[in-house]
Amino acid sequence: MIYHSLRAALVFGVAACPVLAQDVTLQYLSWDPEQLEVERAAIAEFEEENPGVTVEAQALPADKGYWPKLTAQAASGDLPDVFMMSSGFVQEWGAAGNLLDLSGVISDDELAAYYEGAASVGVVDGQRVAFPQNWVAPVLFYNIDMFEAAGVEVPQPDWTWEDFRSAAKELTVDTNEDGRPDQWGFSVYGRYAHVEPWVFRNGGRYLNEDMTGLDLNDEAKAALTFLTGLVTEDQVAPMPQDMEGIRQQDIFPLGMAAMWVDGSWNIANTRTIVGDNFRWGIAPVPMGPDATEDTAAFYAWADMLAVAKDTEHPDLAWKFVQHLTGSSRSASDFLGGKVPAYIEIAESEEWLETDQMPPNKGILLEIGEDNVYAGFSPNWSSWRGYGASGAGGMNGELDEVFNGRKTVDEAIAAFTAFGNDVLSR
Amino acid sequence: MTHRRRVMITALVFLLPTIVGTLIFRLIPIGWSFVLSFYQWKVFDTATFVGWDNYAHIFRSPISLGVFVNSAVFSLIYVVGSVVLALVLAVVLNNGLRSSAFFRGAFFMPFITATVAITLAWRWIFSTRFGVLNNILMGLGVDNPPAWLADPTWALPAVALVSIWKDVGFYMILLLAGLQTIDPTLYQAARVDGAGPVQRFWKVTVPLLTRSLFFVLIIAIVRSTQTFEITYALTNGGPNGASTTLAFFVYQKAFVDFDVGYAAALSYIMCVILGLLTLVNFYFRRRWVHE
Repeated sequence: MIYHSLRAALVFGVAACPVLAQDVTLQYLSWDPEQLEVERAAIAEFEEENPGVTVEAQALPADKGYWPKLTAQAASGDLPDVFMMSSGFVQEWGAAGNLLDLSGVISDDELAAYYEGAASVGVVDGQRVAFPQNWVAPVLFYNIDMFEAAGVEVPQPDWTWEDFRSAAKELTVDTNEDGRPDQWGFSVYGRYAHVEPWVFRNGGRYLNEDMTGLDLNDEAKAALTFLTGLVTEDQVAPMPQDMEGIRQQDIFPLGMAAMWVDGSWNIANTRTIVGDNFRWGIAPVPMGPDATEDTAAFYAWADMLAVAKDTEHPDLAWKFVQHLTGSSRSASDFLGGKVPAYIEIAESEEWLETDQMPPNKGILLEIGEDNVYAGFSPNWSSWRGYGASGAGGMNGELDEVFNGRKTVDEAIAAFTAFGNDVLSR
Repeated sequence: MTHRRRVMITALVFLLPTIVGTLIFRLIPIGWSFVLSFYQWKVFDTATFVGWDNYAHIFRSPISLGVFVNSAVFSLIYVVGSVVLALVLAVVLNNGLRSSAFFRGAFFMPFITATVAITLAWRWIFSTRFGVLNNILMGLGVDNPPAWLADPTWALPAVALVSIWKDVGFYMILLLAGLQTIDPTLYQAARVDGAGPVQRFWKVTVPLLTRSLFFVLIIAIVRSTQTFEITYALTNGGPNGASTTLAFFVYQKAFVDFDVGYAAALSYIMCVILGLLTLVNFYFRRRWVHE
């Protein structure tokens, strides 16, 4: 700690002083064009507060080449001064030594103003290499109108998995009696934001202690078996293959399923598609039967900002990071289900948006105060099956299970072997 | 300075931009990627020399071997399907089909249309419960039509079908050009000798079209190993890797996993396979191509 503090004091020698730099250009790269447009005002404010400083801000979506661009810039020693960093990649990038260690430049008191779970994701090997801007967590979306029509009580925080299963059965309806439900009780695919919330809420873990290999515990296997049963035995959720042609994130907003678990960032898309068609809310994912209050964790992770290790303006870059993540931001800068990492903003009435659906967004804040777990490792996107690898890895295997073509045990054996091979490289 | 030398220097000066461009953007990266294939490198970290490990891993990994099988199946369906269909279409159009100009344009249209746009249309056609194709099949009494893009049995043939549909117009135009060089008097002579349409096709058309067919075959084989955009937009290589072919796998390894040494090794294996296939084709060319 002393070492980190001394090192930080050297690197940020002028951090505490007013910025005197003249005609300095700070480069900032974001993966979210929509978010960047919202940030423009904050960036302009930063430039105004720091005369002579210009921020060159660019956005390149993750599916349009954000990571390849950033990777190429790292290889050529030309990283932007400040850039967005994902929870899924921070370990590899931190270990590779591309990110500036921010340890020691923020006091414990200052740090206490941020959600602890979100702030801890950016700590790699004891170094704080990224700082949280906002965080997200998968939640249970539910259609209030469908629950009322079925005479079923909406999801409660103390729901068990059996309560959930029972409600899903009640909410699965075949209105035209053609043998195929027209309204499903639930919707689930093999993707990370659909499955991990159940696994972690049951105390399950995929990875071993040091995150070097896949070794599913019994709680994780039980959660996968429970989800599979909902699709293949209870038939309260459609097989993923039957919904091919519809984006998975549109099934709930289109009124085809009464419940759905996915990331809170989907609140924005759900608002857009649902409009005034029905009322809906969010709830915490029910705790599993094999978990205790200590072992049950909410799946949550942070979107962060990092500073390039070789930046010529470490003090200014850090100041910019503080500006974009701290008290100077407005609650309206954080769209839908993105929770500001700065607690005071997150707890403001403005962010809660009680005049919009869902009326109970505050549940996300309770999740942030609870036991959270991110479960990312190096090469996560490859073994888990994410982005352009999304049809393979664990994702592909679990879809095969939900499509009834593999058993849970067969899938676990296959993706464990694949994952361990990926992690060994 | 002699005239000959002046001509040489002038030519070199004019060629220099191309030579430099080819060196910097083609030849040096090609050579460098071969060196890379012996390293494990995430691009944003330090490269580690691993010798032949990348190559060894490719040949012992069930995932990689599955990709090679997928690529072979895809190439077989694509090459046979597109060449045969292009030949049929070219012959039909060459034999004075009414509105042949319209059909030439119609068949060629998919080739020049943006791949992502046509792939989105095909996704809608192939959609399991909401797609046109399965609605027609259900109307014809098929109770459980396939999940074309979500069933490992059908996903790869579906990608091959769309690829054939997109490219067949291009091959058809090449073959049509070849057909139009055949002297019509040869057909008249064959008719006089009593040859029917089938005999004229096999005894006149095919032998005199072999040079064009050979060219189309080589192009089709090369393109079959390069399929990427349609796979990316239609199935993303799924379900569970069932439609992942070599070019898409190289992309995943290089730009998703950032395992660029591994991707380089895969590229060189693809290069060797393609080279061998082309050599085999040129070897057998003497036996079936009429010069």
